[in-house]
Formats: sequence, structure tokens, C-alpha cells
Amino acid sequence: MPLTFTLAFRNLFHDRLRLIATVIGIVFSIVLVMVQMGLYLGFGRMVTTMIDNASADLWIMPKGTKCFEDPSLLDARQRNRALSVPGVAEAIPVVIGFADWRTPSGSSTPVFVVGSDLRSGGLQPWNLVEGRIESLSTPNAVAVDKTYFERLGISGLGARAEIRQQTVRVAAVTEGIRSFTTTPYVFMDVDRARAYTGTPSSKATYFLVNVDRGANTDTVRSNLRSTLGDVEVLTPHEFRERSRSFWLFGTGAGAALFAGALLGVIVGTVIVAQTLYSSTKDHINEFATLRAIGSSRGYIYKVIIWQAILNAVIGFSLAALVGWAVVRATAASALPIVITPELGAGLFLLTVVMCVVSAVAAIMKVTRIDPAQVFTR
Amino acid sequence: MSGVVMEAVNVAKVLGTGPAQVRALKGVNLTLRGGELTLLMGPSGSGKTTLLSILGCMLTPTEGTVRVRGESVEGRGPEELAKLRRENIGYVFQSYHLFPTLTAADNVRLALDVRDEGGRKAKARAKDALARVGLAQKTINYPRQLSGGEQQRVAIARAVVGDPSVVLADEPTAALDSENGKAIMGILAEIAKDPNRGVLVVTHDPRLVPYADRIVHIEDGNIVREETRGGTRREETGRA
Repeated sequence: MPLTFTLAFRNLFHDRLRLIATVIGIVFSIVLVMVQMGLYLGFGRMVTTMIDNASADLWIMPKGTKCFEDPSLLDARQRNRALSVPGVAEAIPVVIGFADWRTPSGSSTPVFVVGSDLRSGGLQPWNLVEGRIESLSTPNAVAVDKTYFERLGISGLGARAEIRQQTVRVAAVTEGIRSFTTTPYVFMDVDRARAYTGTPSSKATYFLVNVDRGANTDTVRSNLRSTLGDVEVLTPHEFRERSRSFWLFGTGAGAALFAGALLGVIVGTVIVAQTLYSSTKDHINEFATLRAIGSSRGYIYKVIIWQAILNAVIGFSLAALVGWAVVRATAASALPIVITPELGAGLFLLTVVMCVVSAVAAIMKVTRIDPAQVFTR
Repeated sequence: MSGVVMEAVNVAKVLGTGPAQVRALKGVNLTLRGGELTLLMGPSGSGKTTLLSILGCMLTPTEGTVRVRGESVEGRGPEELAKLRRENIGYVFQSYHLFPTLTAADNVRLALDVRDEGGRKAKARAKDALARVGLAQKTINYPRQLSGGEQQRVAIARAVVGDPSVVLADEPTAALDSENGKAIMGILAEIAKDPNRGVLVVTHDPRLVPYADRIVHIEDGNIVREETRGGTRREETGRA
């Protein structure tokens, strides 16, 4: 072990109270950044959950569609034109929209209707825990998530309610399909969705295109664009990015999350800088002695940077534990905090950089040390 | 006695500015030879510490120059001076200046570590240096576990572990009782027997005189008298 490391380690642990204060500062800062970035990732995933779970090679949508929840409509005749394009195996209509769910007790709550052609697949509910997909073809059948039972005023399979003065019956129950808007999703057949959202039968929100086996998706997309004209044809990846971009940056939510993360970094940097500086000041005689016995400035910088790195490692380790607990606690919430290995690695790097940058003030202090002061103290 | 290991040539130093300006040294000449223990004696404010700082290459003179092993230090930058210090000069301070969080062995090893000498060899040299000052059994003790005399011995071990040409000691016995003071001076006198190493001890304690090969008296920034074991050699010449 280098002696510079030993000296840094001992300097750090010599004053435990200061070490605790520093570590709390780093943990606070990194957990703040972790939560903000975890929310960013979680939000990014939540806003694309429908796109992620749809079975489609391409999405046809009205021009200017900003996100999945955008209720602009396509002409249903476009579907037939799409089907005429070589390589298109299916063009499944999807209808979405907000509606009012009236509970048996008479109260109402907004819901988000998602209707798809259930015979063809497209966008069907997933994670079914009760009932079957096929049963959604029966009259008035809908699927809801069990998380929203209380909000919807129902107790489970077979429960009845009303949308737009029309009866609905819970025929399937899912688990974990949560909406980041907290408005419950209600899945059903596309024709029923039109009726419940007041969408004309000649309209649809999306057509989900599956291409023939062996067909080139890019070529099909290009032909669809030229055939359909005034629509957009996006791959799932493109639609995901567009949705994320809209919700995260179009609404300012992402900027707010990044601002929070930046605040965390600033707070952490200031706390570490302050404690490293005061630690260096306390040990200034020792650094002057080092200088007097001939150490280079670089040698002293090494001691301070080791101290900063040790702070970072200890602080990050504790912050990671807190982060892990936060991830577990929010896993089942409407907006789970997601921490990927890449985010973890990035945060570790950020912690080290933050702590090393914080060492600058301390380094400037030792740069001005007069070695001759050892003779007067 | 051997050759010259360090020289101060016409060294003058002005401290402060404006009305507070003080001429701390007024053209001092001093030569340190290998195998010799020199005492630098004088009252408070006579310029002892300023001269020690200049000889130790921590302070640059306003006029004159310092030569270490014949090489002038004039015009050297702070990093070059630091290199010169770690390679040629060992220091013993009045208040020891040990690192409280390091063991005795690690405190000694620091003087080698700053020279990029690490590993087992450095550890062995540090232990050997501690053995030479009679602390072979206390290598893993922390400064707080050592008496004042023992701490000063660790400081001496740190000063000599790198085999410097010059050892500069600033009031090394001032914080010690007479018994420990004698022991420390005995060690420094032993160190000074090496013909390649000169030892300069700054003190105002007349009890140290018997250990000296030479005594240089400084007053008001001038060297006023020099004595050797054989008797007074010169008075008020400014050269010693």
C-alpha cells in the first residue's frame, strides 16, 4: 500500500466526526442524483410501456403525433391502402382515448381506453392474472389492472361499471400495467373502444404493421410512406424515442429531473470541498513538514486526492445501499425508480470526479505552504 | 574531518516590507564540513532560524548564495529546491513534527517515500535507522505512545534515513529534560562522525557545547565569533 494512501486513510479516519459529516453529505448528494436519474429512467420506461408491449414492426400514425397518448386520428381507409403495400402482412387498428368510468356507486373516474383488434394481436393486455384474452371478445368485456380496483370501485373479475353510459364487465385482470399519469388503462376490443371514446367507426389512432417474413422493414416503410402520403410511419424504436422526448423534454419533466440531479452534484461538491479544505487546514503542519523534508507538491496532492477518492468510495457504497432500498420500495409504484448497471457505474464515476474536483480548494491551500513555517511552530 | 558539504556565502536576508522591514542577516559566511558537529548559538532574534531556513533551502537569501556539495542553489525554483532538500538535507525540528497517525517506522519511511523509494528495502532502511537511534523495539508505536525523547529520536532517524550530506537541527533538545537532551546530542554527535556528513545544531543551550566540534556565535544577523575544540579562532569577522 503506498504511504500516501496510508496517510490519506489515517488523516480521514483520524477525525471521525468530520468523516461522518462528509460521508453524509456525499450520500445525500448521490442519493439525490440517483433518485433523479432513476426517476428519469423509470419515467422513460413508463411512457413507452404500451409501445414496448405492442407487437408491431412499424407504427402508422397521424402526422405530428407526439406520443402514444396523442389522440389524433387516422382515416380507417388508410388501412386497406397499407395492406395493399407489398410486404405488409397485417395492419392492426388501435384506438385510444380518455373516457369516464362510472363506478357502481355512482362516482366517476377518468380512464385511458386502449382498444385493439383482439383476433390479430397488436396491443393486447399482458401479465394476465385472471381471465383470458379470448374472453375480451365477449360483449362489454374489458381488462383492467388489479392495482386500480379501488379507484375503479370494483372488486375483481365479473365486476360491472359504465363508460359513456354503456355497461362494461371486467373479464380479465392484469398485474403491473400501471400508468405514469395514474389514469388506469382499460383494455378492450377496438370496436368497443370506438364506442366508449366516441371515435367514429371510420377512424383509428394507429395501425400496427407486421411485415411478411423475409420482407425488408425499411423497404416496406418507404413504400408505406409513399403510398399513404399524409401519415407518419415509425419503427417502435423511433416511436419510443419520440414519446420519451415529448414527455421528458416537451413537458419540462426531464429538465426538472436533471436540475434536481445537478443540484445534488453541486451540494455534494460543496460539502466535500468544504470538509477536505478544513481537513487540509487542520493537517497543514504535516503537509508543511512533508514539504520541508523535500516532498514534491505532487506527492502532497496525491495524499489529498487519495482522501477525496476514499471519501467517494465510502460515500458511494452507502449511497448505493440507500439506492437499492429506494428501488425496492418504488418497484410497484406508478413511477418506479430504475437504476441500471450503467447508471450505477456512471454514478460511481460521478462521485469520484465530484470528490476529486472538490479537492481543488484543498490543493490550492497546500500549494501556498511555506516549508519554513516548520521552524516557527 | 572531510570536505565542505554546505556553504553560505555573503548571505543577507531582508524580511518584511516598508517600515516593518528587518535586515535579519547581514552578509553571513558559514561553512559546514563533513564529520563535524557545528553549534550555531545566539540570542533570540539574532537570525539563527532565518539562517537555518536559508541553509535548509526553504528560504531564498536576498543577497549571497548557498552551495550544497559545491553546487549553488541560486535561481532554483520551489520544486528544484524540494528535490535538493530530499536528496541532501535531513531536518530535526524542535517540536519533532512527526505524523501522529503514522507509526514510528512509517514516519521514518516518509523521508524515503518522498524520494520514490518504497517497498521492502525502504521498510528495512527505516527499521535500521530506528535501531541506530535505539528504537528497534518501538517501530510500530505511534508518536503518542512515545516519550518526548523517543519522538525526537524518531525525528533523527527520519532525518538520516536518506543518508543526507547535511543534518540541520533546530533546538533539538529544547523540549526535552537534560537526560533526554544528552541522549539526543549523543546521537547527533555520533551521526556527525560520518566524514561525508555535516551536522549543524541551532541552540542557545550552553550544555550542548561539549558535543560540538565547532561553535559559531551569531548576533544581530552577523557571525561574531567562532570557537573550535582547540579554542577561539576568530572574532567579529563575519566569516566562519
